[in-house]
Amino acid sequence: MINFSRFSLDNGLRVLVHEDKSTPLISMNILYDVGSRDEDPGMTGLAHLFEHLMFGGSINIPDFDLPLQMVGGENNAFTNNDITNYYLTIPSENIETGFWLESDRMLELDFSLKNLDTQRSVVIEEFNQRYLNQPYGDAILRLRPLAYKVHPYRWPTIGMDISHIEKTDLEQVKRFFFSHYAPNNAILALTGNITHDKAFRLTSKWFGPIEKRIVQTRKLPVEPVQNEERMLTIEKDVPSTALYKVWHTGPRISPDFYTLDLITDLLAGGESGRLHTKLVREKKLFSEINAYITSDIDPGLIIVQGKLMKHINIQHAEEAVNEVIDSLKNGTDIKDEMEKVKNKFEATTVFSNTSIINKAASLSFYELLGNPGLINMEAREYRKVTREMVVDSASKYFVPSNCSTIYYKSTRKDK
Amino acid sequence: MESLQRVQPPVFPLEKVVIPEATSFRLNNGAPVFLIEAGTEEIIRLEFTFKAGQVKEYLPMLASTTNMMLSEGSQNYTSEELNRILDYYGAFLNMSAEKDRAGIVVFLLNKHIEKVLELSREILFRPVFPEAELNSLMKKRLSWYLVNREKVQNLAMDKFFESVFGKQHPYGHQLIEQDFNNLNPALLTDFHTKNYTPENMAVIVSGKIPEKTIELLNQYFGDISSKKINSEESKDILKGENRKKIHIDKSGTVQSAIRIGSATINKRHPDYPGLKILDLLLGGYFGSRLMKNIREEKGYTYGISSSVSSLNLTGYKVISTEVSRKNCRNALDEIYKEIQLLQREPVKKSELDVVRNYMAGEMLRMFDGPFALAESFKSAWEFGLDNSYYFRLAEKIKTIEPDEITLLAQTYYNIDELYEVTVGSK
Repeated sequence: MINFSRFSLDNGLRVLVHEDKSTPLISMNILYDVGSRDEDPGMTGLAHLFEHLMFGGSINIPDFDLPLQMVGGENNAFTNNDITNYYLTIPSENIETGFWLESDRMLELDFSLKNLDTQRSVVIEEFNQRYLNQPYGDAILRLRPLAYKVHPYRWPTIGMDISHIEKTDLEQVKRFFFSHYAPNNAILALTGNITHDKAFRLTSKWFGPIEKRIVQTRKLPVEPVQNEERMLTIEKDVPSTALYKVWHTGPRISPDFYTLDLITDLLAGGESGRLHTKLVREKKLFSEINAYITSDIDPGLIIVQGKLMKHINIQHAEEAVNEVIDSLKNGTDIKDEMEKVKNKFEATTVFSNTSIINKAASLSFYELLGNPGLINMEAREYRKVTREMVVDSASKYFVPSNCSTIYYKSTRKDK
Repeated sequence: MESLQRVQPPVFPLEKVVIPEATSFRLNNGAPVFLIEAGTEEIIRLEFTFKAGQVKEYLPMLASTTNMMLSEGSQNYTSEELNRILDYYGAFLNMSAEKDRAGIVVFLLNKHIEKVLELSREILFRPVFPEAELNSLMKKRLSWYLVNREKVQNLAMDKFFESVFGKQHPYGHQLIEQDFNNLNPALLTDFHTKNYTPENMAVIVSGKIPEKTIELLNQYFGDISSKKINSEESKDILKGENRKKIHIDKSGTVQSAIRIGSATINKRHPDYPGLKILDLLLGGYFGSRLMKNIREEKGYTYGISSSVSSLNLTGYKVISTEVSRKNCRNALDEIYKEIQLLQREPVKKSELDVVRNYMAGEMLRMFDGPFALAESFKSAWEFGLDNSYYFRLAEKIKTIEPDEITLLAQTYYNIDELYEVTVGSK
């Protein structure tokens, strides 16, 4: 059980506090309700580039990292389709430095051209390192526009095209900041060696004076229901052929979410998942295969991806994947497996909650979803899933007209 | 309108790091057990570690394959059963075989301790190494290997170890496709019998440890005996290759990988804490000189880092980065410049203060919670050291002077002795 308290400031900043006296540290997590889905299609990758710029100094503090390191702290951040999330861990005696740093960069950034130039190059190298210089690295870049035609999830967080990043200017950066970075568009979570009273006092002191800003209500195009099978073949000089299949799901808060997440675990959770057991161990069609749900706030995807063993025909491998998935639709022999997956969710939650960083990130995200209490309730939501729900969801979502497939074919000839 | 002065709040010195001592005892067969009590949740981390790493192997991949095959079937369970039951109890099993040691780590809910111990005994002491599973594993590993050989960072790291430790030594041996055909169940059984023995084993338990743990460990592991066959360390000597600068051409790549470094002292050497501090300053954290120069100033890379690591027979230091192809030469020049600067000019007090404070915070993180505690314990214990190593490190962080850092840079970063590996297209 994670006990937490909650309050908000007049400027709209929402705050969650969980005290854990067993650690000398405090984790400070700030979630901004902005991700790559909020970008203009002509200017993608900006939310993520912005995450980099947030470390380049703010209005009163020329260097973000230095004072933090000076008090024994450490930090990192990530951006995804939905959110931009920053987190610090600081020895509790110096937590006020964290408040000073985070509130200053919420107040205003030091928009310097030098910083923009450097971070543009760094992000381009990040793009090269993650997507271009890895075998299969571009598969995900090709999958999104296949599955999504109008919703902004059709581009990845790094950006649709690296030229968008290359041509960003300071004006766009400033506009982005003032329309998304605001106390009324942020959630602060504090976990670890801090009391509610101290958290309240310091938050009021440092964040209280920041004025509310105008944040436009999000109006995103709704992805129309897919009604035809989609297929793409890529041929490349990679060591082996790979298969990617995705199906649309409902939003994160839909009642089906837990069922579908549980289904991906039945398929690929651990060594004993169905796909691994049938296709890697028994039939030896794949060298590895995985399935997961994207957990996006708007309707997301279930992704199945696997690398084929040599000399295996891809259509044959795909049929075998479909067979395993179809086996869920009749629900036979599934009782023990469901119990196993539910136990695993319970254990995962307990292990995840041993880390103050995870606890702070979860509290912030659940608050964004509208219910921070989920941190204690999600394991129960998985417990509630029945055999019938699995059968219904599998039959509803795993249909060919809801599916996009990539054959990533190896052109390499055997030596 | 704002009355608040936005200046840095007072900085307080950090509390001294508290490191709980492990309590130790021996099982009936003499195997040592270490217990570290920590945490708030009803879970434990259970590690069984053996002197069964690569250094013990007489054929490439023997150590890692034996380790990976432990859960592929035992006297009483098939591989499918082992995996399913562990998953059923919500236990997480990690297997690992490194250069010196190999073993398993299990994360589990306390209420399932007895079942997990029973399965751990099957995995560690009753594996049967079925041939079909072995063949299928080797095919999978070959296909993973082929994917990894496409990545410049893997090619560079393998070549680096080969150059620094020598082609012949298990620390430096690079795999070739042929190696994937050379193993059979008898070889694995032999390696297992010699190396996975109670004499070679230590158990590290951390978390909210249930009372009956000692009793249960004895029940499941206390009566296991070995055939006392001596396993020998590799007779090959560690000797770096003569060539110091190596380029591997890999066409079609947009980034080049760089590895620069050499063999060095390990944790047992009195200079090691100082070297750790020097390494951090050079490339060991986000504010390091390499990161500031090559990422934050020049934008050549997404990341650059340096590290110092200890092995049983030696240690090594390595600077690692992937940079855009066109900036590879520039990045190399800047790396050497930064090393030379550390050898020539004493570090300013302000920069050293940041390093001191950052490291003091790092030390708190190294001992925060049951999982971190167990890892920190093990990484001193395996070198025959105890917590006094960490107290020496903490003391050195507080007292090291700029001159000492300059001297360490001159002693341990002699540029003529460093290997330089680059991989990418010309």
